[in-house]
Amino acid sequence: MKRRSDSGELDVTRRLIIAGAAGGLVAGGLLARLVNLQLMNQEEFEARALDNQISLVPGVPRRGLIYDRFGEPLATHRTSWNVYAAREDLANLEATLDRISDIVEISDERKRRLLENFRREYSFIPVSILSDLTYEQFTQLSVRRPELPGVTIEASQARSYPRGRDFAHVVGYVARANQSEIDAALDGLDPETDRARISRIQGVLKHPNMRVGRLGVERELDDWLGGTPGNYRYVRNAQGRTIQRLDDDENAPKPGRDVHLTIDADLQRAAIELFGDQTGAAVVMDVETGDILTLASNPTYDPNDFVNGISSADYSALREDERSPLYHKAYDGLYPPGSTFKMIVGGAALRAGLTTPNETVYCPGHYDFGNRRFHCWQRRGHGNVNLHEAIQKSCDVYFYEIARRLGPERIAEEAKAYGLGVSYELGMTGGAAGVVPNDNWKRGRFNEPWYDGETLNYGIGQGYLTVSPLQLAVMTSRLAIGDGSQVMPRMVGSGPIIPPSPVYGSLPGHNILDHLRSGMFAVTSETGGTALRAGDIGFEGIRMSGKTGTAQVRVISAAERATGVIDNADLPRRLRDHGLFVGFAPYDNPKYAVSVVVEHGGGSSSAYPIARDLMREAFVRNSGRAGSYEIAAVDRDGESI
Amino acid sequence: MANSFAQTNDDVLSRIFRLPWIMILIILGLGIFGVAVLYSATITNTQEAGLPAQHAVRLGIAFVFLFVLAMTPLGFWSAISYTLYFGALLLLVGVEFFGATGGGAQRWLDIGPIRVQPSEFMKLALLLALARFYHQQRAHGDIKFYPHLIAIVMIAAPVGLVFRQPDLGTSLMLAATGTAVMFFAGLRYWIIILGIVSVVLTAPVAYFYVLQDYQRERVLTAIDPSRDPLGAGYQIQQAEIAIGSGGYEGRGYLQGTQSQLDYIPEQHTDFIFTVIAEEFGFVGSLGLLAAWMSVFALGLIIASRSRSHFGYLAASGAVVTVAFYVFVNIGMVSGMLPVVGVPMPLISYGGTAMLTVMAAFAVICAVNLDRDRHLSVSGLF
Repeated sequence: MKRRSDSGELDVTRRLIIAGAAGGLVAGGLLARLVNLQLMNQEEFEARALDNQISLVPGVPRRGLIYDRFGEPLATHRTSWNVYAAREDLANLEATLDRISDIVEISDERKRRLLENFRREYSFIPVSILSDLTYEQFTQLSVRRPELPGVTIEASQARSYPRGRDFAHVVGYVARANQSEIDAALDGLDPETDRARISRIQGVLKHPNMRVGRLGVERELDDWLGGTPGNYRYVRNAQGRTIQRLDDDENAPKPGRDVHLTIDADLQRAAIELFGDQTGAAVVMDVETGDILTLASNPTYDPNDFVNGISSADYSALREDERSPLYHKAYDGLYPPGSTFKMIVGGAALRAGLTTPNETVYCPGHYDFGNRRFHCWQRRGHGNVNLHEAIQKSCDVYFYEIARRLGPERIAEEAKAYGLGVSYELGMTGGAAGVVPNDNWKRGRFNEPWYDGETLNYGIGQGYLTVSPLQLAVMTSRLAIGDGSQVMPRMVGSGPIIPPSPVYGSLPGHNILDHLRSGMFAVTSETGGTALRAGDIGFEGIRMSGKTGTAQVRVISAAERATGVIDNADLPRRLRDHGLFVGFAPYDNPKYAVSVVVEHGGGSSSAYPIARDLMREAFVRNSGRAGSYEIAAVDRDGESI
Repeated sequence: MANSFAQTNDDVLSRIFRLPWIMILIILGLGIFGVAVLYSATITNTQEAGLPAQHAVRLGIAFVFLFVLAMTPLGFWSAISYTLYFGALLLLVGVEFFGATGGGAQRWLDIGPIRVQPSEFMKLALLLALARFYHQQRAHGDIKFYPHLIAIVMIAAPVGLVFRQPDLGTSLMLAATGTAVMFFAGLRYWIIILGIVSVVLTAPVAYFYVLQDYQRERVLTAIDPSRDPLGAGYQIQQAEIAIGSGGYEGRGYLQGTQSQLDYIPEQHTDFIFTVIAEEFGFVGSLGLLAAWMSVFALGLIIASRSRSHFGYLAASGAVVTVAFYVFVNIGMVSGMLPVVGVPMPLISYGGTAMLTVMAAFAVICAVNLDRDRHLSVSGLF
């Protein structure tokens, strides 16, 4: 049917069909575009959509806690409010810093450094602007957060040491990773193939919340305590606001594990208090199990000061203090054992058959050897003394004679069997081996042969011989309990396996040890002993056996030998002798061993009161009772074995 | 006779009955779909919580508007066309001198409490005025060359004024509608081909000397979104990611991560197509395109059935106006065209474009109702 229209000759239908075709062509073009986007490249765009929304945030693992024997926290966490900013979110960092500065002062110097950091760091690593805000500052900043784009105010867990100074040397402290620690963590990784791991490790180590162990248990057991860094995966919207955190077990950081030490924190506290103004170290050890109950050094410092970085002025004050508060004297400090070494020499001679318990040596107050005269501390002399009396009265002449018979090799061998000259792995940094000298050692060290005169000094625990207070406690424990096996000290009650420390030789039998112990009993409990006031510890009649010692700090000159030793009290402090005491109690059924070194104490009378009071405290507190932890045998990866 | 038949049945009820219901139902369906999509686009932003409901209300008002205008006799449309055109032109001049500035461009005119956007108004006015002009010329026989020159002046005046605002999208749209009416009015094919060739040749000149910096930037960004990943290119890149990640079936309603996490700026207005493409996939985009193509086809069929030359031109031009919205919107959102600010009719949030589009549909409906009516030489009843 022909269309009736006013359009005249104009072929309306054709024009409309052309228009429709043009529209179809355009629609076809759009459709082709949609096919290209939606059907041919869907996977790429899906991946980019995922990329968009998922942001990986370096996950700082929660650090394990450190407890004492009875579950008292030694290293724990407290909540701290911190302000961070992420570079990618900041249009104008400087303006933001100024706005924050209205509320919490940020110095111009610090602003400059922060801006510098922002330029240098990866964009995904948030930069810490302020840490440890007060609650008031936190609320003020929170209210104004909408004006602070890119800024996050977060509660984080800051390391805290509730026992502060008492455990500075043992527990140590954490600090932000320095460049060499970051380099060490990246050691062995290929910058090409391990890029993801490298950036993850860097991301975590540079994270403002991340701390690494810098000293003590914190450092040595860092792998165990620190956990495994990972990533959190956040779904973020276009404004960077977190919508949710994805539960992602595979990549999430794994928290660190706890460590229980064998130390009794309150006994440790008591030890440090007993030192008062004196400097030195004290160790209390369970003779049966080897559990270290106290490992105290005085003076000490507050490890909390180090967590957020100590000021260089405070640090150099600690460094330059002549009492060396930074020094872990109980573990790293080395002192000549002095007369506390005499039991070892006597036992060695009995074992070698070079003397008998009843043999007496005449002490005129000196001992002539070659062209030299060696003095007894008792200028009057002790007369005829056997082993028992020699230990009781600490007669030097007796041990000069015995040592001469033994020679350095046998003394060194015996000393090592008691655990001297050994660096013990306790699960913290440090640990001095000291020196148990012999001919070989001297040739290696001084390129000189051993002189016989040196053997005599060796016999009274002077000369090259140096030991740590920890080693003295081990020695005393082994003396106290003997019994074939050599007790090993341990300080980690539950935690990673600590590699075993070396053991040398064997202990003599009880037939010999009984003679040494009866001498030690006489020291504190029989008339003529050198530490009679240390016998009764003042608790349930328990008696302590022990041995005093004096470690010479300076070489005594020939002139002094002639005129007699100057009284220590007349010398300047730094030249005074160290006072030592080792002991165990109860004398007839030993439970604890103690060693005390008082630096420049002038003699053993400075050390035994501390040892006695500490021993009493250990019994009063029953420090050696079972700890609150279960000792589970686990390897370093936490697997039970 | 058909003429008397039409007139004897020309009561209101029969006019309602003869409305192009299939087309209206498709439009209604698109509008309702728009409310649902808008809900998805705004659900994550509490500040935009009221928008879908507001859109629904506007849609309702727009439909009332559609029915009222659709029932208006075609002759009335023709009668007011010149008045509308010159009124709109006057307002555009007014904008030039007194217009309110928004978004860097002068587009609005405040008349008392009412804020009008004359360029939007002009889209329909130009269409009707050109249709009437050609209707009158047609009555004198086949159109020679010179009436086209007058038509070009009628088109160029508003296009120039709108371009100066500057509003590239609307001025191109006016030019396209005008050119389409000229084509439907019988402009010779060789002139059209010549015109296309000259546009292609002069486009580079226009690009460098007529466009402003930000407009040139948009063109460049459309070609390569990655050149400005944080600025203008960001929007296009995010839009492409949204469309592309929708795949065949889409992420599911309310499940599009790009949409729900607010990665696409303006996703509830000009970029609403990204939400459809992401959540309903290729199937959804194809369905939307098919729905629109059906509307356009029905519109062109109505145009072809109009007895009056005015009706034919008005209906076909109205189809082109709406099609231009749809095509440019999808083209720009999918990264084929520069971002020129053209919304998706009925689905994008926003009132002005909805009224223009509804008025265009109303014209098509009116043409359908009066398809057998003869209009006088002057274009009046």
